[in-house]
Amino acid sequence: MAAAVAMETDDAGNRLRFQLELEFVQCLANPNYLNFLAQRGYFKDKAFVNYLKYLLYWKEPEYAKYLKYPQCLHMLELLQYEHFRKELVNAQCAKFIDEQQILHWQHYSRKRMRLQQALAEQQQQNNTTGK
Amino acid sequence: MAASSSGEKEKERLGGVSVMAGVGSTRERLLSALEDLEVLSRELIEMLAISRNQKLLQLDEENQVLELLIHRDGDFQELMKLALNQGKVHHEMQALEKEVEKRDSDIQQLQKQLKEAEQILATAVYQAKEKLKSIEKARKGAISSEEIIKYAHRISASNAVCAPLTWVPGDPRRPYPTDLEMRSGLLGQMNNPSTSGVNGHLPGDALAAGRLPDVLAPQYPWQSNDMSVNMLPPNHSSDFLLEPPGHNKENEDDVEVMSTDSSSSSSDSD
Repeated sequence: MAAAVAMETDDAGNRLRFQLELEFVQCLANPNYLNFLAQRGYFKDKAFVNYLKYLLYWKEPEYAKYLKYPQCLHMLELLQYEHFRKELVNAQCAKFIDEQQILHWQHYSRKRMRLQQALAEQQQQNNTTGK
Repeated sequence: MAASSSGEKEKERLGGVSVMAGVGSTRERLLSALEDLEVLSRELIEMLAISRNQKLLQLDEENQVLELLIHRDGDFQELMKLALNQGKVHHEMQALEKEVEKRDSDIQQLQKQLKEAEQILATAVYQAKEKLKSIEKARKGAISSEEIIKYAHRISASNAVCAPLTWVPGDPRRPYPTDLEMRSGLLGQMNNPSTSGVNGHLPGDALAAGRLPDVLAPQYPWQSNDMSVNMLPPNHSSDFLLEPPGHNKENEDDVEVMSTDSSSSSSDSD
């Protein structure tokens, strides 16, 4: 408790708070974690909801550049809506979001693989016609 | 006798006639003057004819009639001159009216053109304002391309936004921080000072994933960077209801219970 109070006042405390908030906001990209929070009723707590609103400052460019998982910002935006928070209590919802996230994550590598395949096929054709 | 009575009647008539001369429009006056002249000349001719037959000298009446005739003729001449002048004035008036019409139409034309010009200018000004607004907006959000490239590099190199090319279902890597990473971070370490690293927790998982070197490292790049050492979060107002205790309490609960719950789900996903 004393540590928490000290954290708010001095500079080092603020830096620590920055790191903690950075970690926490990125944890929001994990749909399983969101499901966990929903099931424990954190989303019903007004203070928590206000905290989520406060965390929106990570959208500013000078803060966003520290985010390694930028998907967390989209999740943060969605979390501002009560309907979304209520839906997250279902495990199916979290699983769906997880699947979609992973599929989207693979989107670019799949695209690249397809391009590579197309390029390889084209080269093969060129080789056969050349010969 | 007959002649004198007729002369009296004549005087009355002529008296009536001369009264009418000053009233009415020029046209009426002209017409009445003409009538009078007609009447007078007829009278005179009658009198001359009668006097020639009767050989009586009726000089007085003849003189009177003559005088009246001459007088009326004089009036008639004046009226003609007046009519002529009025005609000229009327012509001038018509010409001026034409001029006025022309000027009117000119003014209307100019008015139309002015309205058109105003409209064109208004649209031009509006579009210019819109452009200025968008310029301001663009300038506000200006970021150096180098920074953007650096950032893009950072988030793609660590497979945070693009899956690794060798990814297969069963690979524990995810586009979000997994519970392993979460627990080994600052949030997790804050409430579990006894555990050093995550070797004690789930060594099996870590080994299976083949990510042992990562696991050994206590800090992940997503948690803090060298460059973020001097970064400060915005000062929060006292909006949250139970701010400081609530803040810590969440982390505590999350980190402890997470280990039992979602560890199964993350390794189950196919």
